[in-house]
Amino acid sequence: MLSWLFNLEYKRRHLLDKAPEGPLREYLAKPFPDRNTPIDEALLLAMDFETSGLDAKNDHLLSVGYVTLQNNRVSLETAHHQIIHSKRDMSEDNVTIHHITHDQVAEGMTLPQAVEAILCQLQGKVLLAHHAAVEIGFLQQACRNLYGIAPVIPAIDTMQLARQRLERRQQPIKAHELRLFNLRKKYGLPRYQAHNALMDAIATAELFLAQLAHGNYRKPPPLRNFLLRP
Amino acid sequence: MEIELQEIRDFIAAIPPFDRLTDDVLNALTAALSIQYVRRGGDIPAKENAPPTLHILRQGAIAMYSGKDNLMGMLGEGDICTSFCAAEVMPDFYIKATEDTLLYSIPCDELSRLVEQDESVLHFIRHSAAQRLKEAVSDMQEQSSSNLLHTYAGDICRGELITADPDTSIQEGARLMSEHGVSSLILMQDEEPVGLVTDRDIRKRCVASGLPVSSPMREIMTHKVTSLNASESLFDALLVMTRQQVHHLPVFDDSGLKGIITTTDIMRQEGLSAVHLTNTIRKAESLEALVEASRMLPRIQLQLTNMGADLRHVGFAVTAVTGAITRRLIELAEADLGSAPVPYAWIAAGSQARREQTSHSDQDNGLIISDKMQPGDDAWFESLARFVNDGLDACGYVYCPGDVMASNPKWRQTVSTWQGYFEKWIEQPEPMALMLSSIFFDLRVIHGKEKLLNRIRRKILRQAPKNQLFLAHMVRNALTHRPPLGFFRDFVLVHDGQHDDTLDLKHSGLVPIIDMARIYALAEGLHEVGTEDRLRAAAGTPSLSKGGSANLLDAFEFISNLRLEHQAAQIRNGDSPDNYMSPKQLSKLEREHLKDAFKVVQTMQSTLEMRYQTDRI
Repeated sequence: MLSWLFNLEYKRRHLLDKAPEGPLREYLAKPFPDRNTPIDEALLLAMDFETSGLDAKNDHLLSVGYVTLQNNRVSLETAHHQIIHSKRDMSEDNVTIHHITHDQVAEGMTLPQAVEAILCQLQGKVLLAHHAAVEIGFLQQACRNLYGIAPVIPAIDTMQLARQRLERRQQPIKAHELRLFNLRKKYGLPRYQAHNALMDAIATAELFLAQLAHGNYRKPPPLRNFLLRP
Repeated sequence: MEIELQEIRDFIAAIPPFDRLTDDVLNALTAALSIQYVRRGGDIPAKENAPPTLHILRQGAIAMYSGKDNLMGMLGEGDICTSFCAAEVMPDFYIKATEDTLLYSIPCDELSRLVEQDESVLHFIRHSAAQRLKEAVSDMQEQSSSNLLHTYAGDICRGELITADPDTSIQEGARLMSEHGVSSLILMQDEEPVGLVTDRDIRKRCVASGLPVSSPMREIMTHKVTSLNASESLFDALLVMTRQQVHHLPVFDDSGLKGIITTTDIMRQEGLSAVHLTNTIRKAESLEALVEASRMLPRIQLQLTNMGADLRHVGFAVTAVTGAITRRLIELAEADLGSAPVPYAWIAAGSQARREQTSHSDQDNGLIISDKMQPGDDAWFESLARFVNDGLDACGYVYCPGDVMASNPKWRQTVSTWQGYFEKWIEQPEPMALMLSSIFFDLRVIHGKEKLLNRIRRKILRQAPKNQLFLAHMVRNALTHRPPLGFFRDFVLVHDGQHDDTLDLKHSGLVPIIDMARIYALAEGLHEVGTEDRLRAAAGTPSLSKGGSANLLDAFEFISNLRLEHQAAQIRNGDSPDNYMSPKQLSKLEREHLKDAFKVVQTMQSTLEMRYQTDRI
């Protein structure tokens, strides 16, 4: 039943053999955190992407924000925000949502530089995101374009955890209930005004801390209980 | 720090003392934070042996306890928890989240390193409540540096000193004064000032009374001249002038006479003064005129507060005006009733006696009558008492709700009866009797024979220090007024964990300190009446350490100043001044300082409680 968990590590080693020299190979070379690590000890990287749309194949990355989380603490020292330079035109709609102007995009890193930095940060960590499919999808697509293959990425999805929790209680799930903003409100988390990739990554990390605190665990469960099934 | 973290930085930057930090330090501080979430009911810190850490509440609420269920305080959004920064945390101290709480945390070591440029923040982290309060009070004093308190008599007294020999003719003296454009002349003999002549003396004592202008100045000069030291403040000058009813004060320094200072000089520095009001009162010919004059009182309080005066000065000025009104009422009554059958003293009790009155407070007074009093004499004193009590009420000093007034026969008694009262209070203390009588341990003669009160006071001060049971009862009474634990959001947090909407600055702030000062004075047999005087006099005695005295003085000054400012704002808005402040009116910083002041008071109350073992009576 838990074969996908073994698959994760198996796939990593399998892909390592095929990966070209470079950032992706380095990422795959580092073992994933042990799936039996107590969740509070596991090293997590909360990450958020701002993108021009939801289609990983045709839309592209505008910015990325991330921060690490370990021992039930979000450490702002590790907080980082990166604007990603894109040759393609930005869709006007998204610009107004994310307040990223063309000038800021122009100052950013190129996509290969950004992906290299992200892979380097992710080494030996578990990705934490809200609706992680976006982050995983865009990162994998970028790798496919850049290196020819897509990596496996162990991840925890706070939206998925919230959904499971509601399903377990057999509660009907209302529209918008699983959105980051609404879930945060439920846990008494502050309403941040700013919407940039970094504050959203921090907001996700805080939400995960709240989900853990409200989990009624007698002792911290192992990492494997939280991992997103591929 | 990543610029995207600005929202977190702005949150921190709005909280004192971090609001004083430079942008660079704030950025570094923000980047050094870690975020923690504590579920309602959860412990802080979550793990034992956590390094000393400062927590800033971003959301939620926490409660601090000492021992089982002994609530010490609560914190809400935007509050800072420094409890875990102290060198040693009390062993039975713990914190629980009372709501789901998000904390921004930073190890104290790291914070100290980041803010090492800013002493006030360092002190906030490291220092005790008493130390922080002391700094706040001295900051406050510095801020009011451009006022009468910080202008010295030596600085403004006239440089060109006009003196003359006492044997100079009045005409020659008047010519000198006109020539130099001064309103007074100091008369010197053998390089020593022997007298003072003013414009008014020439008018009243010479021209109006037909004295030839060829007479020597000696004949119209004032002999006993009150003088001032050059290092005394203009406020001191104002107080002396108000009390002595004079308009000119020679100023001396180490080398001798330096100059002269007049009410006009002071008024030129700052508007109207209590001196003029007391003069108006002294001349008032009717109750209506007194009522009219007393309406000025709130304005004077406002003006003094605007000038940066502290309670000592406002209290003195306001009390001087109350005293003048009382005295004038007595004079008017005597003009009507004829002179008193036997000697007496009109006494003020409570805040008027301590010279701590602000605006119009209730009246507390009584009459001490000579033991020579005959059975029929009381009618005269009763008439006097009624006239004065009614007059004071008309002037805004409303009747005492507890009927502590000379019109009450109980408080209109002979020296022997009063002595009997005090003997009973001291020898057989009963809580209720003491509650009522505690204001009678603060007494001052407003009019009449000072020695009548002295006879009583000597006895009190001899008996009280020896009587531990009496002191223990006084302590127990004093402990009925306790300062609040602090603030929680926009509420005042009181001892049983209840919330109040307003803070009573008088009963939960000043009264506990006033009560303790009275106990120290009684325990040590000190004759001082004013709270600050008592605390200073008791410093270093077995009853009160020097440090304890300094801390209480700081707390008293801070709370009184807050009250003065609060009342000044009310007077400015045309409202009647009171003692109730909503926590919403308090700045974050003022709340912090108030909490420190409360802590000082709590500590001293506990010390008294243990010393007199009030739980055993």
